[in-house]
Amino acid sequence: MGRGEVTPAERADPALRASGVVKDFAGTRALDGVSFDVAPGEIHALVGSNGSGKSTLVKILAGVETADAGELELGRQRHDLRHFSTALARREGLHFVHQQPTTFGDLTVAENLATSRGYETGPLGGIRWRALRRRVAGVLRRFEIDAGPDDVLDTLSPSTQTMVAIARALQDQEDERGGVLVLDEPTAALSASEAERVLDAIRRFAAQGQAIVFISHRLEEIVRVADRITVLRDGRLVTTVERHAVDHDGLVELIVGRPLDRTATAALAPSFGAAVLQVRELGGGRVHDVDASIAAGEVVGLAGLTGSGRSTLLRLLFGAQQRTRGSIEVDGVPLAPRRPSDAIDAGVAYVPEDRLGQGVFPGMSVLENLSAGFVADYARHGHVGEARERVAAVEAIERYMIRTPSSLAPITTLSGGNQQKVVLARWLRRNPRVLLLDEPTQGVDVGARAELWHLIQTAALAGAAALVVSSDLEELVQFCGRILLLRDGTVCGDVDVIGSGLDADRLNHLLHAETVAA
Amino acid sequence: MSTAANTSQQDSSFDPAAIAPGPPRGRSMPARLVRYAEAYVLVALTGMLVLLFSLLPATRGTFPTVQNLQATIGNQSVLAILALAVLVPLVAQSYDFSVGATMGLSSIYAATVLSHGASIVVALLLAVAIGVVIGAVNGLLVTRARVSSLIATLGMATIIQGIVTWKTAGQSVVNGIPTSLTNFGSRNFLGIPWTVYVALVVAAGAHYVLRHTPFGRNVYALGSNRASAHLVGLRVQRLTLSTFVIAGGLAGAVGVLQVARSGAGNPQVGPGFTLPALAAAFLSVVAIKPGRFNVWGAVVAIVFLAVLNSGLNLAGVDSYVTDFANGLALIVGVALAGLFGRNRAGSDPGGS
Repeated sequence: MGRGEVTPAERADPALRASGVVKDFAGTRALDGVSFDVAPGEIHALVGSNGSGKSTLVKILAGVETADAGELELGRQRHDLRHFSTALARREGLHFVHQQPTTFGDLTVAENLATSRGYETGPLGGIRWRALRRRVAGVLRRFEIDAGPDDVLDTLSPSTQTMVAIARALQDQEDERGGVLVLDEPTAALSASEAERVLDAIRRFAAQGQAIVFISHRLEEIVRVADRITVLRDGRLVTTVERHAVDHDGLVELIVGRPLDRTATAALAPSFGAAVLQVRELGGGRVHDVDASIAAGEVVGLAGLTGSGRSTLLRLLFGAQQRTRGSIEVDGVPLAPRRPSDAIDAGVAYVPEDRLGQGVFPGMSVLENLSAGFVADYARHGHVGEARERVAAVEAIERYMIRTPSSLAPITTLSGGNQQKVVLARWLRRNPRVLLLDEPTQGVDVGARAELWHLIQTAALAGAAALVVSSDLEELVQFCGRILLLRDGTVCGDVDVIGSGLDADRLNHLLHAETVAA
Repeated sequence: MSTAANTSQQDSSFDPAAIAPGPPRGRSMPARLVRYAEAYVLVALTGMLVLLFSLLPATRGTFPTVQNLQATIGNQSVLAILALAVLVPLVAQSYDFSVGATMGLSSIYAATVLSHGASIVVALLLAVAIGVVIGAVNGLLVTRARVSSLIATLGMATIIQGIVTWKTAGQSVVNGIPTSLTNFGSRNFLGIPWTVYVALVVAAGAHYVLRHTPFGRNVYALGSNRASAHLVGLRVQRLTLSTFVIAGGLAGAVGVLQVARSGAGNPQVGPGFTLPALAAAFLSVVAIKPGRFNVWGAVVAIVFLAVLNSGLNLAGVDSYVTDFANGLALIVGVALAGLFGRNRAGSDPGGS
């Protein structure tokens, strides 16, 4: 590779140095003077909880967001981060592999590599396939990827696909100056053994002199792989520590900002009413062996890191995704939902995470959005009673605190919070038995957030069982009586908030902890 | 998304005064005027065309006559019903390019059984049955085989035309059509052709079904957001299938009207109806209920296109000019449908 082994002494000349990065979002400071640097051959981990600012930092480095202040040094070039762009990032050798797959599953490895770099073409513009295959075979050898240029990507293992994505990002820089590889949660969707193969590859690249910024929720990975770790909390740099200077628990303490307390882990839920939702050995997608029981009147939080299967679990319960194992009971009656309408008939309601894509009906009025799917409720002899529907809509707008100029206003003219209230009210006015809510307060301002939680709790008081996914741990411990911890697709903890005095910090500890005593 | 930014401030306060009436809500007088103008601009345009052709020297003598106006709207009844047929799947964001061919096939079969002495009722039932079967096949191709509606129905239209040519050897079925039927197709009631009443009744029925039954409302929901529709428990596939069956059934039935109007089963006429029908259905998005495919908007669009065609014909322009006009109407209709859809949704609705 021409670079050879890099000793720590060479870190004096970093491949990347970001200094004094500041970013404000609508009055709140997302990043407050953060600095860090990466040397050639170093794996530098960025860690922090949700909201710590690490994803904002990555977006600024990628040129997707512009900083309000800050400087970026790449090799010997200095850039003002207020005027940084994606094109500039690319030209200066910053290579990103994002969490969402950006590879093309039904194309071959060669085609995947060519889509970002361009095809080698003949004089008439035709693709020179032989030359392309030869080059791709070279790239695959260089990155030690066990695949051929003509293999269709989807036929490869997930770890190999991830490695192809990395190779695609790095394919151009063989002879250029080092460049920096930024890996954003490359292992989030992988199983443990698959993740291990990717980590091996990452270590190998670093050994060849590649500077790597590594972002992962899996702290055990980080303490094993990273040379240095930069910890962010609330938009501020906490510290940058050398490898072996910190262990897993120490890292959790740095992230959370408080000593780790392992005494109170799992506690049993206090008994409410009878169990409304009963789940046994449920499996499907990335979810497996989930047992849970939620009583009437209970609001249960579902916490887990990205990729833990939170959304999948709700979709399985609602019949939006096919269950492969296990049983569901609602009020003691078995439910085997093949499609959402089966679950709805059993009294299950579901608010999806993607409000605009899956929740609202754009182009339709508030009234139509409230009735959507349940217009038949307002029909007699096949005729929709407009007056009946209108009265019910006006009632719902009042009762569920939806702020809209009229029931006929287009839904998309409402604020996010009020749109979400409409989506929730659609279900609540049918008095559901089970509420499945996926990030119901995401992208919603503080006022509407409190009102949404009020609506959820009111429904629970009326006898519903609620299961709420949220990445906002503060709100989970504030509003939920009990929290289920989800990890790698299964429930690994069941914590009674009231009984244990659980707070967001400790919940954060538990999420990052290697194992939770159940 | 400036509206969302404006309204997001409302969340944190209960002050009703904070609920400022934004432009799209039609509280202020100018906004209401804009909405009114939007709804009736195509109606006004049609009126202006009528006025223009009534004053233009080339058409002054021929256009504003009772005979011409009767013929102008009478000739459009079949097309109007076909436009309503494609409107139903279109509301659910599916395209049916086979309605013209379906009408052609059913008119051939209807004419054939009529010429063998079958009653009009039998001919009508047969015509509807043919359309329903074709619609069901279209629907199954789209929902089960996951063929894009455009491809499935274009292929179907081609196959149907093949059947028509095979069955008729290119010859029209003209003998033995009952005079009661052809009389119905050519006579007027209160100065208006009977076929126009038929089209209006069908339009009223379509309006009722689409706007005032749970089925129709669900079709609109499906067209607005397929994923949301699935997650509120609508049977998305079944709904899509039924829109094609309705379109096919209507297209089949109107074959009998075509026989009544023209006095024959002509193997050539069917496919030519499809694009004008689609053009009218798309244009419906700019009239009466702007931003939404709607029945009365489609009816207005049909009249608009009819007046335009008739006037241009009478003005003696070459037939290619009317081709230009119709092609342009289709493209403008689709473009406006996209534009209005985006405005209403506040975001790009994407491909679907």
